[in-house]
Amino acid sequence: MRLNWLIGGQQGSGVDTSALVFGNALASAGYYIYGNREYYSNIKGRHSYFALTISDKRVRSFSFTVDILATFDAETLFQHFTEVKKVVIYNKSLEGTKVEYVQNMEPEIAEKVVSFLKERGYGSTVRDVVEYLKSKGVNAIGVDYDGIMRKVAEEVKLPLSVVERGKNTIAIGASYGLLGLGKGYLESAIRNVFKNETFVKLNTMSAELGMESVPVMFPLKEIPVKKERVQLDGNTAVAIGKIYGGLGFQSFYPISPASDESVYMQAHQEVWYVDPKTGDKRKKTVVVVQAEDELSAINMAIGASLTGVRAATATSGPGFSLMTEGVTWAGMNEAPVVITYYIRGGPATGQPTRTSQADLFFVMNAGHGEFPRIVIASGDHVEAFQDAVWAFNLAERYQTPVIHFVEKAIANAYSVIDLEELGLDKLRADRGDVLLSPPPDYARFKITDTGISPRAFLGSTSMFYTGDEHNEEGHIREASHVREAMYEKRLRKLETADREIPEEDRVKTFGDLDQKVVVVTWGSPKGAVLDAMEELNEEGIKFGVVQIRMFSPFPKNLIRKLLSGKEKVVDVEGSYMAQAGMAMKLFSGIEPTHYVLKWNGRPMGRDEVKEALKAVILEDRKKVVLHGGA
Amino acid sequence: MELKPEWSDWCPGCGNFGILNAEQKAIQELGLDFKKVVIVSGIGCSGKIPHFLKIPISGVHTLHGRAIAYATGIKLSNPSLEVIVNGGDGDLLGIGAGHFVNAGRRNIDMTVIIHDNGVYALTKGQASPTLRRGDKPKSLPLPNISDNVNPIALALSAGYTFVARGYAYDVNGLKELIKQAIRHKGLAVIDVLQPCPTYNDIYTKEFYDKRVYYLSSEKDWDPVVRKPEEEGEKMAKAMLKSLEWGDRIPIGVFYQNELVSTYEERIVQQAPSYKDAYPANVEIEKDGKLLTLVDDILKEKKV
Repeated sequence: MRLNWLIGGQQGSGVDTSALVFGNALASAGYYIYGNREYYSNIKGRHSYFALTISDKRVRSFSFTVDILATFDAETLFQHFTEVKKVVIYNKSLEGTKVEYVQNMEPEIAEKVVSFLKERGYGSTVRDVVEYLKSKGVNAIGVDYDGIMRKVAEEVKLPLSVVERGKNTIAIGASYGLLGLGKGYLESAIRNVFKNETFVKLNTMSAELGMESVPVMFPLKEIPVKKERVQLDGNTAVAIGKIYGGLGFQSFYPISPASDESVYMQAHQEVWYVDPKTGDKRKKTVVVVQAEDELSAINMAIGASLTGVRAATATSGPGFSLMTEGVTWAGMNEAPVVITYYIRGGPATGQPTRTSQADLFFVMNAGHGEFPRIVIASGDHVEAFQDAVWAFNLAERYQTPVIHFVEKAIANAYSVIDLEELGLDKLRADRGDVLLSPPPDYARFKITDTGISPRAFLGSTSMFYTGDEHNEEGHIREASHVREAMYEKRLRKLETADREIPEEDRVKTFGDLDQKVVVVTWGSPKGAVLDAMEELNEEGIKFGVVQIRMFSPFPKNLIRKLLSGKEKVVDVEGSYMAQAGMAMKLFSGIEPTHYVLKWNGRPMGRDEVKEALKAVILEDRKKVVLHGGA
Repeated sequence: MELKPEWSDWCPGCGNFGILNAEQKAIQELGLDFKKVVIVSGIGCSGKIPHFLKIPISGVHTLHGRAIAYATGIKLSNPSLEVIVNGGDGDLLGIGAGHFVNAGRRNIDMTVIIHDNGVYALTKGQASPTLRRGDKPKSLPLPNISDNVNPIALALSAGYTFVARGYAYDVNGLKELIKQAIRHKGLAVIDVLQPCPTYNDIYTKEFYDKRVYYLSSEKDWDPVVRKPEEEGEKMAKAMLKSLEWGDRIPIGVFYQNELVSTYEERIVQQAPSYKDAYPANVEIEKDGKLLTLVDDILKEKKV
């Protein structure tokens, strides 16, 4: 069972909070949730929305087409009415509002809405939209928001202006009412989110009155919860993953959509650990520094890594552009630094709060000169957590920068997962070749067969680092034969990594790989692809799915093995140039035969991926471009 | 340990030799544990300095302008290290000016030494941030078109809590200043006047020798802030003094204030465990098992 719900409203009007309350209530009733948050690069006033898929089983994606559309302002209705299939909740007192009068809506969107309605013989008011929806068989429920708010204001003895912020709670109350679940879950979710007693009262009453204004239309039963479950967004998943992995130092410069990770760490800078000498539980400090710019952020982290601590930074495209020189220093000096890279829409400022997968080739090639780099990409919240630990292990084992991709689509979405999925006990530390007590003749860049030199930490003995080419001791050298030897030593590490890291860890497979059709994807589309696959399987359409988890070193052998001789290799990813497909061709010689691509800044919805795969598989469409999302 | 000496490849007569000798002697005379001393440098002639010391310290020769950022990461991860930054005036006040200013806001307990020669020497003498407008050293095709940065005034306004100026050819005097700077609790900066005999034929040894004088030779000069209420006055005096340039050029300590908390102390205030369990002093795994506990913070996410 999958029920799709969407709530929208002006940024700053509590849309996030209400989606959180609604999701929490359903999660405590035993349901699994996947939620995606869309918002403008704006603090107050622009349109934001949250799309949730609610399921009795684990779910990894959301859908742009929804069963229930919950609105309390006019803009949400105007922006999303074409996406609702069953029920729309709207604000009755706004029936006369015209599209043209919604000032915070971008004019191009307003124009599109007006002409859509006009072409179908409708005017441009909320009432027109409601009439249109009714003609399409959608149940339109007008809620008397103003009346409810007056009632609440009277009851809690607060001015209407304060109570008005509870509008979104009426909307979730009404949404919740459609499901017929006991109101206890919603009330305790409200209590959890709003700590202040007055706000608890105000919101509880708003929610109850919202519930009373609708009939039960999608009766859900509570599901007994057997396992411990957590709700994780991508930023938090990485933050906790890094902390678990032993993070000692994180530097950052504020940038969407990466900052939330570092801010979470600042709020949790003291964490517990087990002192291995005594077995006691003690507190330790994770140093989190807000740097003056990204140049500083990356170089602080690299400096920290030289002292033997696990060091990282988190950024997005514009920030990483500034960091690239630092990354080359880390490559040259074999410094294990981790960069969590939240992809947003570029180039330039691009779309700061929208998603993208278009930075893959940039990262694969960022920086001057040749040096080994490891590039991994998470496809969901569990991977985001686990990869944060993996990234440190890879960085330290191969003593080189690791770039960990997490897209905005994962950062600002959340999943309800079983705690055991995180596999805490299975995650291990690999610090690589470390010398705690280096010998007197220690040379930091000793040439070895694997390219990996024993690593000592600053403070343990004399050692030298330089961004110039250097000898084994780390002193500047320009001699051609020294240059060759060091150059080869560094790049040999990439060959070592390629040999050592099982390709099975670099590629994940799902579904039936013996089918003639295989879908190749990476990063955030994974969830939509897998959930679409489940639905398509039920319709008798079968295929295998290959998820690329590491781009450097590229798992070329396994990719060749999995994809050779297939009738259709369908590349599903979020860039115009189909960059993962390009990488696949470059490294493994296998080129996708079909493409499902998207670059409008919105994540892939399960509904649109399903339709696109159908078109590719059944109608042999070579390329489908996705457009979902307001 | 036996250290293979590296040959210093600076031009004969370079002011860097004076700074190198003074810094090395200061470290020795303070009796610092060499393996705990980390010299972090930028790019340019000055950047090579860590490689040329004859004592077994550690050196981190970083990127152009970024030495302070590296030093910050090193020091905050392992506050038991003695961290000294060496960079040119182009490195620290040009390409790295943002870091120079923001380091003042943090007041981390480390020392910054500016090799101030007025030119970008390693790229053959272009004008650097401390070169005055109208100056035309022989390496410039036209007189310098931009005004100069005043490193002392900039450091004071940025929040450095020890601000001094030294002279590269007064090795003993500079050594004493470096010792004071290292001993200082907080962020110290020394702007070292450093002739570049190859490209800067204005600010030469001859130029400086007859102009520099020690502030301490003025009988009522007291740059040390001992009470909070002295702060404004002492800083104002230092600012004013920093403007003196011409026939007489002051060197020595302009300002010192240990009443300002260091960044490390501020971390301890927010996270008391930092005092002992700072990042480099904590083991994160045992036999591959991760030792950090996240049960508590995961519980906050329970649904």
